[in-house]
Amino acid sequence: MPDQRTDTELLLASRDEPDAFTELYRRHAEDLLRYFARRTLDPETAAELTAETFAEAFASRQSYTDKGVNGVAWIYGIARHRLGRFFRSGRVDASARRRIGIPERELPPEDYERIEDLIDFAPIRGALSEALETLSPDQRDAMKLRVIDEMGYPEVASRLGCSEANARQRVSRGLRKVALMLQERGMQLTTEVEA
Amino acid sequence: MNTEIRFLQQFETDLTEAAAREAAALPGAASGSGSGYAKGRPRRVPLRERHWGGIAAALVAFVVLAGSIGFLSQHSSQDSSAASAGFTDSGDAVGGVPTDRGATQPKPGTFEQASPAPAPGLDEGGSRAGALTSGGITYDAFDTASGGSGQAALHGASSLPPAQAQGDLSKIVRDGRISVIVPDGKFETSLASVSRVATSLGGFVLTSSTRDQNTGTFTLRIPAKKFDVAMERLRGIGEVQADEVTGEDVTAEFIDQTARLKILLGQRDLLRSLQAKATSSSEILRFAGLIDQTQFEIEKSQGQLRFIKNQVAEATIKVELREQHAPEESPAPTTDNPSLGDAIRLGWEGFLRVVSAVIIGLGYLVPVAAIGLAIWAIVTLVRRRRHAAS
Repeated sequence: MPDQRTDTELLLASRDEPDAFTELYRRHAEDLLRYFARRTLDPETAAELTAETFAEAFASRQSYTDKGVNGVAWIYGIARHRLGRFFRSGRVDASARRRIGIPERELPPEDYERIEDLIDFAPIRGALSEALETLSPDQRDAMKLRVIDEMGYPEVASRLGCSEANARQRVSRGLRKVALMLQERGMQLTTEVEA
Repeated sequence: MNTEIRFLQQFETDLTEAAAREAAALPGAASGSGSGYAKGRPRRVPLRERHWGGIAAALVAFVVLAGSIGFLSQHSSQDSSAASAGFTDSGDAVGGVPTDRGATQPKPGTFEQASPAPAPGLDEGGSRAGALTSGGITYDAFDTASGGSGQAALHGASSLPPAQAQGDLSKIVRDGRISVIVPDGKFETSLASVSRVATSLGGFVLTSSTRDQNTGTFTLRIPAKKFDVAMERLRGIGEVQADEVTGEDVTAEFIDQTARLKILLGQRDLLRSLQAKATSSSEILRFAGLIDQTQFEIEKSQGQLRFIKNQVAEATIKVELREQHAPEESPAPTTDNPSLGDAIRLGWEGFLRVVSAVIIGLGYLVPVAAIGLAIWAIVTLVRRRRHAAS
């Protein structure tokens, strides 16, 4: 039976009833993943940031007070903060997950494409091809095939003569670099309205 | 969850487990599985955040407490020493008039400068203590530059009565300070009494300064033997506010100086006899230079001995006389008319006092706090162990 409580109610209830937080996660995890994916362009980073954001929200849910701020807006506040930290440092740590005892997990191979599907590359394709020139040849070639030519990973791998996992990694790292670079230049990576 | 992304599914499982751990750790919940990890950690974080204010307040209270303790401890130690400090304070308060204490009070190492101080009665004291017998050695102390013979003095010493020679052995410089309050209108007569005390005992008034016909400071020189009598008579003049008697033993200094003089005299005699045997004029001139130098040293040494004897033979008494209702001179005019510099200096001194009080207080508190902390840590540890075991 679906939980009828609002996000704010769930967040407040989760203080004494930690399970209520899981419901909140179920409702918003994919949206948040998309939010991160469109800004970082990198499935690995987006997944990690999503996990970290929810872990941090869970760990500090006691400090949430209902001051008219929607419960989800509060979580997106944490997300923005995490994203800013990523853009500054270029990496995602696992401190929040460690704090609540959740182990770090590898991104399963099939998730790469699924998360990339959440990213709408169309509006940024122009900026991307420009940024590509600054990458190493391996990363650039993999990214051109995947993002510009929209090939599947098996095809990219066979074109480059490497394993699929390797191809995913090259694209992922390349995308992360491009995202960081575009962010540095102050380019908006997405046109979507922030939550 | 309606997602195909396995990472999110996996994280949901992880999050559910974390929630279950927290639920088990919540107060009121049955102590359950996997309590070890979830118990301390997540509970601690909000606790710490919420209690920052409390911790800061506790720290401030701790420092304030330390400051108060430091202040109290300093204050009580000042109280105990206030009795001895009292004289100095009152002395400074009255001593607005220049008294030139430096010249009349003996200070080690300032004999050369101080020796020309006017001192009637010097000759008498000098001849009385003309020779010093010490441990079988008789020093010729007063072969003056005018050419007195050393041998004569030597004989003179052996002819001195033994008692007097014994008495001269210890050289003590005595100093007295006394602050007397007299009834209003009696200042003039009291002034005369002070002067009479000095003259009747064979002493004299060395310096005297009065102000407004109701306050005065005097320095008396009294023969050493009459010192105690003089102090007693001065106490009788009025109400004694404070008095102080100090004695400085200068025996060792006296003996050293006497030995030095003896050596110098021998050296001069030797140089003279050598000069007499000299053949060339250049040699004679060289000896003359050396003799002059030695003579200078001899005179310096004699001057110092004379000063010591003078100090020993006559005691110095500083008298402060004040009518009962004479206005006390304000000890610190800076408070009446404070300048900006004074204000900053006073502020800075106050600040330093506060800091030192805090540091002293911390010295008292830190050991106590450390013991308390250790007890708290042990109690917490034991309680946690017991909890984990149950």
